[in-house]
Amino acid sequence: MKKFLASLTALILGGLSIFTGASAHASSKAISVDQRIDGAGGVSLDTTLYLPARLPAPAILLAHGFAGDKSSVAAQAKALALHGYVVLAWTARGFGKSTGEISMDSPDGEVADVSKLIDFLSTRSEVIQQAKGDPVVGIAGDSYGGAVSLLTAGYDHRIDAVSANITWNSLSDALFPQNANDPSYGPYKKFWAGTFFALASLPNAFGGECGTFSAAWCAAFKDAVAGGSPTATDMKLMQASSPASVASEIVAPTLLMQGEADSLFPLNDSLANARAIHSSHPDVPLAMIWHSGGHDGGTDESKRLQKATSDWFDKYLLKKSITFPPFQVTDTNGSISLIDSSVIPKLMQSSSLPTTIPYSEMPIVTPFTALIAPIGGIPGAISSLPGVGSALALAGNLGGVSAAFLPGQSGFLETSALKHPLSIVGPSKIKVKVSSNKSDATLFFSLVVRTASGQTKQPNGIVAPVHLTHLAPAGSLFEIALPAVVLDAAVGDKLAVAISTTDQGYSMPQDGRLYTVAVAGPLHYSNLAFTSSKSNSSLLLWPIAAILIVIASVFFAYLRRPRHNRAPLEESDALVSVSHLSKVYKDGYKAVDGLSFHVKRGQVLGLLGPNGAGKTTTLRMMMGLIYPTEGEISIDGKPIYPGSPTLAELGSFVEGSGFLPHLSGRENLELYWKSIGRDDEPFFDEAVKITDLGNALDKKVRSYSQGMRQRLAIAQAMLGMPDLLVLDEPTNGLDPQQIKAMREVLKNYAKTGRTVIVSSHLLSEVEQTCTHVVLMHRGKLIAFGTMKKILRKTGKKSGSLEEIFIELIGDDLTIGKES
Amino acid sequence: MYSPRTTLPYRVEMYRQLKRKRTLFAYLFVMALPVIVSLAVKFGTTGNSTGPTRFGAGTADLIGLATKGAANFTATMFYFATPFLLIAVVALFNGDTVASEASWSTLRYLLAAPVPRARLLLQKLKVSLTLSAVGIILLALTSFSVGALAFGTAPLQTPLGVTMVNSVAIGRLAIVAAYLAITLLVVAAIAFYFSVTTDVPLGAVGGAIGIMILSNILDAITGLGALRNWLPSHFSFSWFDALSSQIDWNQMVRGASYALILSAILTSIAFLRFAKKDVTS
Repeated sequence: MKKFLASLTALILGGLSIFTGASAHASSKAISVDQRIDGAGGVSLDTTLYLPARLPAPAILLAHGFAGDKSSVAAQAKALALHGYVVLAWTARGFGKSTGEISMDSPDGEVADVSKLIDFLSTRSEVIQQAKGDPVVGIAGDSYGGAVSLLTAGYDHRIDAVSANITWNSLSDALFPQNANDPSYGPYKKFWAGTFFALASLPNAFGGECGTFSAAWCAAFKDAVAGGSPTATDMKLMQASSPASVASEIVAPTLLMQGEADSLFPLNDSLANARAIHSSHPDVPLAMIWHSGGHDGGTDESKRLQKATSDWFDKYLLKKSITFPPFQVTDTNGSISLIDSSVIPKLMQSSSLPTTIPYSEMPIVTPFTALIAPIGGIPGAISSLPGVGSALALAGNLGGVSAAFLPGQSGFLETSALKHPLSIVGPSKIKVKVSSNKSDATLFFSLVVRTASGQTKQPNGIVAPVHLTHLAPAGSLFEIALPAVVLDAAVGDKLAVAISTTDQGYSMPQDGRLYTVAVAGPLHYSNLAFTSSKSNSSLLLWPIAAILIVIASVFFAYLRRPRHNRAPLEESDALVSVSHLSKVYKDGYKAVDGLSFHVKRGQVLGLLGPNGAGKTTTLRMMMGLIYPTEGEISIDGKPIYPGSPTLAELGSFVEGSGFLPHLSGRENLELYWKSIGRDDEPFFDEAVKITDLGNALDKKVRSYSQGMRQRLAIAQAMLGMPDLLVLDEPTNGLDPQQIKAMREVLKNYAKTGRTVIVSSHLLSEVEQTCTHVVLMHRGKLIAFGTMKKILRKTGKKSGSLEEIFIELIGDDLTIGKES
Repeated sequence: MYSPRTTLPYRVEMYRQLKRKRTLFAYLFVMALPVIVSLAVKFGTTGNSTGPTRFGAGTADLIGLATKGAANFTATMFYFATPFLLIAVVALFNGDTVASEASWSTLRYLLAAPVPRARLLLQKLKVSLTLSAVGIILLALTSFSVGALAFGTAPLQTPLGVTMVNSVAIGRLAIVAAYLAITLLVVAAIAFYFSVTTDVPLGAVGGAIGIMILSNILDAITGLGALRNWLPSHFSFSWFDALSSQIDWNQMVRGASYALILSAILTSIAFLRFAKKDVTS
């Protein structure tokens, strides 16, 4: 039902005259209609018309490759229709369901068929017409389809834009490539020609040895196979089917795409097409893309190429403003994927089309090379295989005898080792003097890279065959056009002109020969300038962004750093003054609550309270380890906060020792002193005396007992003889004698006018050492005063601090002698 | 006289770290890789083992390439060390640095000295980054020396067939090392951030390594698209571009930029957090 509706829609839309067997189907939004259209000379063509959602629209003729049919381009046709074009795909005459004979894109055969298709489009209301009988139409195709596109553009000026991929310039040059300035034909490209002839003739072989090939082309093929060279009639035939013959007539904007992995129609074909069009009509917009694919396979870039084609039509049929670089090249020597070892292509572009090649020169240091051509041409070198690619790539890159360069049959004319890396995109040329024991020579030239480790890299296995005639006995001079390639050479590599006497892809002389090829001039190589396709501005964008963000981050961190009031607090004769100090930890626990007291010089203050009274929290704030929630601490009128320079006036031992366990006690003290930014001498001997460590001082701290660590820590606190010494439970872990000694040390310390703050939960401890006492409980100050005052408060003669404590805070706590 | 600018001098902090067994073991660990691999290749079973290995699939037989010469061996060691070894070493030096001080309680006495907090982190970071860089350099030097002894000093040869004479190859390897150093800044920053937030050194080191493993896994999920660019491990292998005949800076510049951005942000957060932290350990 759906199908029926779709065909009905198509009928109403177009009012089509559908032949028998016609069907229409909708796929996504594009509607396609199959129908037969009359070509030239009574040939009936099998076609499909794809219609976009919005009509009318410009039309695109989509031609298929050799031995294909209209279904080969169905996917691209649908994509273009969805993109907004009326697309007409057809099967070329002699293939598929179209009638007629294959005549290799001849002007009165396939090309005339396309003109009929344009006539058809000019009658369609779905297609935008610019004049009566002249629709807005572009044409695109690969290979066989590319040639018919170029030829049609030359013969029928109703074509408004062309996109031709991997196609030929001159069929005779492609099949009998001659890359030397010699008037004869080059060697016959038998492997490729045979492959193609078989592809087209075999499926229809029951109709005769040539299948659906026309009689003229069948005869030309036989001539080539038998004689290795074409007759004058064959030449005429091939010239007529070559875009070279009508390139001067092409006025439609043309996009030429060519594959680097293409030994059938090498890169030079696109260069020749571009030059021919440009020289006759310099104003015709031209663009060229050298991609990594081609008839040999290579790397598939068809998605990118189809995008380029649709961009090209958008620019010249839809008149969209699209910037299209005139020349783009894919460099496959870029890098390799570590995931699947596949080559990651690198896109490069040039701002101009290389209609003329700028050459640089490089001297060749190898003077000559001598070569043998074996009788019968066997064994023969294999440079590349149809549909497979470079023989070198097959053999792998690592060592082994290469099938492309057989010993004795190949030679290299080398440059000296490169001092700078070199990228060559385009053709090269060199003058050589060739001599032989016969009067003619068939040779295969290529430009290769020879690496320091002895590898030879022949880009994509592309060779330039030459057939040289009338050789003088002493040798004759020739200029050899080396293949257009995309090549990268590193420092230490040598460029070389490789010469082979055999290549299995070509017809060769069967008698054995000796050749000498001598250098007669420097290597001329193309030095076209390229930029990486991702423009430099976007490359610079990231580092700029990175630097900006680094600066912003540093600035942000600087701005958001904690600030402290550095102004001196009000004058006071106290050394330490704690005012309204509170600390609420993140978990909400209020450890200190509104604590205020002050300590003067020469005093030993006991900070007294049970566990959890807030003693340690107070000392942490005094050391600048934690931030007070409220209130301030000052020493000598200068505020204390984390990192405050005032902290230098304070030596501390809080919550146990802290030493590097892998160093000795002595090293720890020395490194500590070096770390704290003091330029005065430490009181090292005095401090060491306190530690009472003796020889253990030079043992690793890891081996110390808790008491030893504790004494070392107290020594560390006293190392600089600070004005204020803060000690947290200093007698923990000391034996009675050491405790007694410690008391003396603290009393003597205070006598020098310095101040000591000792925290403890042992009341007896504080009672014997301290002149003043601060009693804390649950973060709050309970009592503050001189020891005498506190003792007097109880009114009992033998009142001990314990009793006082219990009296002051009631039964709210149990005070342990040792907890 | 006290001067905050002379607190915890670089020299002193370096001495404190160098005296640690951990530092020695980390470096031995780094140097062991090339030695073990060279011994394994040199004295291991010869001939083709069955089937492709993780490093030998397709045409890029990296172990085969590694034995071409010192430069190749060094490049292969970089390849082996990039996904884990160097990450572990950098995470160790930068994750352990502050957290271990906290665990020894020495942090408390340094801060009370006082070593200003930002200065403490800066000095620590300078030293831990130096130690990390030395680790990378040590890997390169050991690999090259071991490679030269075991396989000679043939020119560098990449899987693509590009060959570079040693003078060029050493320059390229230096670029690789520099690029690795920059991308590993992210690992350093993650580890350092953990280091200032925890007082368990192993937690900081392990946390950073864990995040890198997670990043590697996420990087394999292509569905994440451009988001993967921000994963700290996404560009970690882009140094391969430095070994093509002409250096393609594109990926490396992006990778280095992402690394700098991420590490700057993480380090700033680390400094901020530490500046406002209540040090109770």
